Amino acid sequence: MENEEIIRAEGLVKRFGKLTAVDGLDISLNRGEIYGFLGPNGAGKTTTVRMLTTMDLPNEGTIVIDGYDTRTQYLQARGCIGVIQQQHSLDKDLTVKENIFHHALMQNLSIKESKKRMMELAELMELTDRMNDKVSTLSGGWKKRVAIVCSLIHKPDILFMDEPTTGLDTQSRNLLWKMIRNINRTGTTIFLTTHYIFEAESLCDRVGIINKGKLIAQGTPDELMEHLGRFALVSTDKEGEQTVQYFPDMISAKNASMDVDHEHTISIRHINLEDVFLELTGRRM
Amino acid sequence: MHNIPSEIFRVAYGDLCYMKHNLIQTMVSTLVGPLLYLLAFGYGMRAGDSDYIAYVIPGIVAISSMNSGFSSSSQKIVIQRLFHSSFDELILCPMHTTSIIFGKCIMGIIRGLVGGLIIIGLGMILTSGLQITVWLILAMLLSSIMFSLLGVAAGLLAGSTPTLMMFNSIIILPMSFMCGTLFDIDSLPSFVADIVWVLPLSHTSAIMRATATCTSFDPISIVVVLIYVAIFYTVCHIVIRKKLY
Repeated sequence: MENEEIIRAEGLVKRFGKLTAVDGLDISLNRGEIYGFLGPNGAGKTTTVRMLTTMDLPNEGTIVIDGYDTRTQYLQARGCIGVIQQQHSLDKDLTVKENIFHHALMQNLSIKESKKRMMELAELMELTDRMNDKVSTLSGGWKKRVAIVCSLIHKPDILFMDEPTTGLDTQSRNLLWKMIRNINRTGTTIFLTTHYIFEAESLCDRVGIINKGKLIAQGTPDELMEHLGRFALVSTDKEGEQTVQYFPDMISAKNASMDVDHEHTISIRHINLEDVFLELTGRRM
Repeated sequence: MHNIPSEIFRVAYGDLCYMKHNLIQTMVSTLVGPLLYLLAFGYGMRAGDSDYIAYVIPGIVAISSMNSGFSSSSQKIVIQRLFHSSFDELILCPMHTTSIIFGKCIMGIIRGLVGGLIIIGLGMILTSGLQITVWLILAMLLSSIMFSLLGVAAGLLAGSTPTLMMFNSIIILPMSFMCGTLFDIDSLPSFVADIVWVLPLSHTSAIMRATATCTSFDPISIVVVLIYVAIFYTVCHIVIRKKLY
């Protein structure tokens, strides 16, 4: 099943009045991969996710999810996807159990199957002891676990995660990363938007960078970094202003460091995905 | 192939759980308004005139079914859309649009029916002129469905809580007083009466009064109510399908 295309979006355009949030975006995901979608605030990440998940219709372009055109076969496409939104989309007035069971029912699972899947996933996410707690009493990390269970209840082929670790502490984030890898190992394709570049670098097989509604780069983290070189020479002036230059090898970087003003502080390090992001967008995340 | 009745239950499950958790609060808020109307108009203004009480109670039931149906559906959807973001989850599920619309009406329908039956039951104790008939229950059901659909449409279209409150103030509240619930529409100036007869509550009120007192009503009222049901359903359908919410 190597490189079997599971999502194909072509020429996506989304306008809000005079603002074009997504402008001619083409994107393609292979079955079983973790795809990271990066972009600065307002770049069009969430709008893209909303279109790919059938929540919003594009003004132009087509989206095919697992063979289903989302404009004409949106119900079938919805059956293939699970979504974890940026904001917790749980019913805060209900218990954990009721929320999960409701999601299972809405995915057309039978009552027996719903209960079975609910218990399996609750155990996997270590939620068994919190099942009768109201969602409003849970912390962000626990709510995220409930949201994951809800999104996986119908065994989707593709899981969309919109900034899943935003607002989580380090421990919860590490646990969530472990869970994401485990979910991916079961064959689920993951589309992950994130603010954290190290998260994309650590988790994703491929990364796409969006800026001002356009996809400006796509590839594996290594491929994207190799475009810049391998080493970065960082010089910092007295005011703390940084300048970064990129070099294919350590020797070139060291040679260049000789020419830097002696009042600047210099350091040489490996290029990371953040360098790529900054070079392409001119902005930090 | 969609099993619409099953899907309606699946959509409504969350709201039914919510009702279960808040049963007392839900019933108290359903009954306080109608009981105040009964006390203020039946006893305060007409000093317990049993004929007027028999007249006003079906009107109060019509108001109750409107308020319960509208507020239950609209408020829950606004909260789910704007504050919990859980309405998107509903849209993401492989449910037929009709199931989503009617599923979101269920809580309003139950509240409208239960509240209406309690008020009529109370009316039967206070006066001898009222009866609970199958036709009355059907009338209450139709009224609750219509106003719940209006609530779903308003909940989908309202951009904020104040917008919904404004809708309530300029549409729902005036209907409560003007639509033949507490007095005869024909006592209004004729041009005002003509406008009032266009409003849906005038017709549900007329149907309920006739079915509760076993008298006749103009069948055109049923037609008008069904037209409103079709209009509100179509608005909900378009808003959901075109994602205009």
